[in-house]
Amino acid sequence: MIEVENLVKWYGQTLAVDNLNFTIPRGQIVGFLGPNGAGKTTTLRMLTGYLPPTSGRVTLDGHDVLTDSLRARAKIGYLPESTPLYPEMRVEEYLHYRGKLHRMDRDTRRRRIDTVCDQCGLAQVRRRLIGQLSKGNKQRVGLAQAMLHEPPVLILDEPTAGLDPNQITHVRELIDQLRGEHTIILSTHILPEVERLADRLMVIAGGAIVAQGTPEELRSSVSAGSRILIEVNAQPQDVSKALGQVSGVKQVETATNDGWCRATVTPKDNADPREAIGQTALHHGWTVREMRYETASLEQFFVQVTAQQGRAATEDAA
Amino acid sequence: MSQTLTIAKRELTSLFCSPIAYVVLGLFAFGTGMIFFLGFAPGLAAGMRSTFDSVVWLMIFLVPAISMRLISDELRNGTVEPLMTAPITDVQVVMGKWLGAMGFYAALLAPLCVLVLVLEVNASPDYGPILTGLTGLVLVGGLYLAIGTFASAATQNQIIAFLLTVFVICVFTIAMYFLPRASFVSPPWQQAMYYLNVNMQFEDFNKGLIDTSNFVYFVSGITLFLFLAVKVLESRRWR
Repeated sequence: MIEVENLVKWYGQTLAVDNLNFTIPRGQIVGFLGPNGAGKTTTLRMLTGYLPPTSGRVTLDGHDVLTDSLRARAKIGYLPESTPLYPEMRVEEYLHYRGKLHRMDRDTRRRRIDTVCDQCGLAQVRRRLIGQLSKGNKQRVGLAQAMLHEPPVLILDEPTAGLDPNQITHVRELIDQLRGEHTIILSTHILPEVERLADRLMVIAGGAIVAQGTPEELRSSVSAGSRILIEVNAQPQDVSKALGQVSGVKQVETATNDGWCRATVTPKDNADPREAIGQTALHHGWTVREMRYETASLEQFFVQVTAQQGRAATEDAA
Repeated sequence: MSQTLTIAKRELTSLFCSPIAYVVLGLFAFGTGMIFFLGFAPGLAAGMRSTFDSVVWLMIFLVPAISMRLISDELRNGTVEPLMTAPITDVQVVMGKWLGAMGFYAALLAPLCVLVLVLEVNASPDYGPILTGLTGLVLVGGLYLAIGTFASAATQNQIIAFLLTVFVICVFTIAMYFLPRASFVSPPWQQAMYYLNVNMQFEDFNKGLIDTSNFVYFVSGITLFLFLAVKVLESRRWR
């Protein structure tokens, strides 16, 4: 549905997007993740044809967004960052205006406006001036506008920025409802927001994709960094020796914590030696005060990969 | 075409929502009323010619006030982004904006018709020159609004758009009035400058003359500045 080839964008001397390549099949929800300034908005703007890339190309359902722009744009519903709207217009009036720009006839417009207002929870504020709406409702108007012409592709730039937790949940449910009908790309810098929603995550930092895959795949690459913590009343050297012999254990570090021995066990890749460790403790007759399994969260992973990229970028600059 | 009209209609509605619109409407109605009644006495010609002559000077400042926010406001608020990602061309955007402003300009001229009515009640005016004069005013407004559309596409700052428009208009009015009178300008250049002077072109309409060359002047001027506006708008994408 969306094909991106060798996409590059320079702003003067600054490289904003560095050779992106990806393909998004029909019906997939893709989460575009990255810290602020990573090149998310620039990439999305190039997907919509608003910004021309320095080099590379974007095709949407076979239409090049630059050379066959009008046909490509007709297939996109776009919610730009910070949801620009006309404050002097009423919600319904604005949606009619957007519908007319998309060449929808009056009956279709009425029907679709009813539908999207229901879906986005705008039924109560349809006659209100956009300028008087709360931030959350403005965001909903932006979403309603993007969905109005039933575009096969929805591009949502930070759809939940500035919303309260309830509203975020609502937007998430809304996007979930659209699953299957639309190919959706949404960008955010908040991971848990898209973790459950997206079929695929792309982590972008410094203008390049630093990690991608399903949320499960990313999480499993994270669990490689998990470890087991155990506190027993025994001599550190004994604990170190006994646990070191357990299969699936890669490394054991011990420390004394007010008379107790605290061991940190790093398992081998994909191994889970918790059961064996428990049995070893029982076998040696150690009293166990605490045992804990620590997994690195996706969030830590996110911080890690984007920070690495950030450091690399600063070193490059230096 | 329908999308151009959609943009024009939104622009017109939005103009009537802004306070500037009412200031411009008020100033114009007051100004033209004053000018009209200064020349309204028994024994004077029952026409609008002297009024229109002054009105065309008022337009130098009033028209840029209408056009200054046309596109610059969209650039500043970011609404240009959803606009330019909708399936419409840059030409449609510029034409729509200009047409919307022309709609407002037509409303601006309405008080003049009231003055014509006053004339009708008190005397028997000759409608020929009044109609050609009004046509001339519409064309002058069209040209100034095209210049204003161009200026407002060039900047997101309304004040700069206003000043740029006034400046360009002054080149075509004041500069083209004084320069041909300067001693260092050779006669062929003088002729060219007289031709480029908006007021000289308008003068023919106000006299009751309708000449193709006057139409060519205004239509090509409007086309030129709207074309420049489209180019400036396109170029924003490449920066």
